[in-house]
Amino acid sequence: MKLYEYEAKNIFKDAGIPVPLSTLATSPEQVHDIVKELNGPAVLKPQTLTKQRGKAGLIGFADSPKEAVRLSLALFGKRHEGERIDTILVEENVKVAGELFVGIAVDYAKDQPVILGSPNGGVEIETLALEKLDLIRKMPIRVSRGLGEEEALALAKFVGKHISETHKEEWLAKLQRILLSFYEIFRSYDCELAEINPLGLRNDFSFVALDGAMVIDDEAQFRHPELVRCRAQTEESFKQEQAYKDKGWTYIQMEGDIGVLSSGAGITMAILDLINLRGGRAANFLDTAQMNRQGIFDAFQIFHNSKSIKVLLVNIFAGLNRCDELAEGIKDYVSAYQAPFPIVVRMVGNREKEGRAILEGIGITPISGLEESVDRAIAMVR
Amino acid sequence: MSILAFRDTNVLIQGITGNQARQHTKNMLDYGTRIVAGVRPGSGGENVHCVPVYNSIEEACQSHRIDASVLFIPAKSVKEAALDAMKNGIRLIVCVAEHVPLHDAMFIFEEAKKRGTIIIGPNTPGMISPPENTKLGFVPTMYFRPGPIGVCSRSGTLTYELVMRLTAAGLGQSTVIGVGGDRIIGLRFRDALKLFEEDSKTKATLLIGEIGGSMEEEVGEMVARGDIRKPVFVYIAGSTAPEGQRVGHAGAIIAGSGGSVEGKVKTLQQAGVHVGTTIAEVIEMIKKAVGN
Repeated sequence: MKLYEYEAKNIFKDAGIPVPLSTLATSPEQVHDIVKELNGPAVLKPQTLTKQRGKAGLIGFADSPKEAVRLSLALFGKRHEGERIDTILVEENVKVAGELFVGIAVDYAKDQPVILGSPNGGVEIETLALEKLDLIRKMPIRVSRGLGEEEALALAKFVGKHISETHKEEWLAKLQRILLSFYEIFRSYDCELAEINPLGLRNDFSFVALDGAMVIDDEAQFRHPELVRCRAQTEESFKQEQAYKDKGWTYIQMEGDIGVLSSGAGITMAILDLINLRGGRAANFLDTAQMNRQGIFDAFQIFHNSKSIKVLLVNIFAGLNRCDELAEGIKDYVSAYQAPFPIVVRMVGNREKEGRAILEGIGITPISGLEESVDRAIAMVR
Repeated sequence: MSILAFRDTNVLIQGITGNQARQHTKNMLDYGTRIVAGVRPGSGGENVHCVPVYNSIEEACQSHRIDASVLFIPAKSVKEAALDAMKNGIRLIVCVAEHVPLHDAMFIFEEAKKRGTIIIGPNTPGMISPPENTKLGFVPTMYFRPGPIGVCSRSGTLTYELVMRLTAAGLGQSTVIGVGGDRIIGLRFRDALKLFEEDSKTKATLLIGEIGGSMEEEVGEMVARGDIRKPVFVYIAGSTAPEGQRVGHAGAIIAGSGGSVEGKVKTLQQAGVHVGTTIAEVIEMIKKAVGN
């Protein structure tokens, strides 16, 4: 779950990491009033979850309320990578003498967080990591201990290596505090990623987080209910996603015409590969949790009103459950509704013979070979 | 022989009184697993399918030698349960729960590394050693047979599909391990491969991978170094998955160029690993190399 910049900045602020003065606006009138209140140069930052707003020319700089309103009129309602701009963070335009980078990510091969820092902030860190390795320092963190005072200071020294010698100790002590607070945010908010880029250096020996990004682990959402709500999608699709989640389903819409209903992420992925490699086009990825009669009946509903599906491929591998039980679920669906598309069933496992008899009773001949069932579905679309 | 789980492995079930746990305890017992105790605070003194239930692991350990624990514990409580098992000296932990928070998992694995504990999972159906009639977890047993193939997989359902075909081809299995579908997991492919290499009865290993992560690449490096002499076969699911999307398993996401099937296949083939692009192809490869 990615947070909006303003959410990340609110969290930074609460943790004592300085951020620019700012207010959220949802209308040009509000933009006007905020800039007037700021009484100085302002930055207009559309709140989207897309990347590289700057490169897309979406960040506006205004010296007067009038100019800000003019810029905001062009931004409100505009779409960036499909996401509509509805809110703009209006911020004081802070003058800085330098830009640094700090971030914390998870090293998935080593099962631990890594804190990264660079004296060259403001650029894309992925590029920096690939091209200028000496400009980045990485430090693994042991989660049971957290980030230590000394480690934070060592990283501060590297990140702040271009800071002028006058008052250097004062600078570094501040930077060290910021790093410690930043790790505490990463930990307490269950982040999989957190970034301050750039972290601005001001002439008055202080720092300011000019931009912030946080991604919270989806599995830990239950610990942060205040942040869970719809993001960068319609209320409707958010509700739909949550509803699937509650059932233990993962559903991803795709562009083809062969619907897929299957249990288990791995086998479903393999089925999509087979469809695509054999010249068909899958309409979706659906991984349902372990199925029972009611579950498979419910899953059919997903496809019921689909306009894109020309055939539905159902894969049943009954290891813990039973073929006959699932076949009954299919029968329930076909009896309750006229299926608007032909159904191909691949079925193996417990009580296969019994399941086969039930399906044959409703005019479906199940197939036991996976490849064969995929080929049948593709042939029916053609 | 098999690896990790044997007929004389004494098994503890944490959270044994839950509905799922009861059912799977019975399935494990029926298959032959030696379950000696269960734990559930407040249920001490009860029995589940004749397995004595204790209030704490500590209490269970006073009456039994425990070699392995299977956690039938909700994701939110896995951290506490796993740490408790490790604290009581249990060396093998199978964590079936899905949706364990990332930070909890990191904490568990740090402790496990310190103690040398092997953790299988999270988000796994568990493991099964057909020659030893032992399974830890909820792997459906119907298609498993004893034999020479070691199998290690990121996906439960794909495991069943491939094992069914191995068995149909007359190729049984020494041990089959679901390592789990999450981004960070305990026992990795490389660890399992080392164990299979040392197991005299395993003739070849089948790894069932997925897009995302770096486990397949690690195996490529190991084989290239010459650490693994037995043949290794790999199938990787997700070659046509959309980039940047989580396809079911949290670990199955392609970030930039890392973790793509193409990249994994290249690394593996250069190392001399046999990679099948489809399920049917990898099974054919194994049949040719190992079958009679």
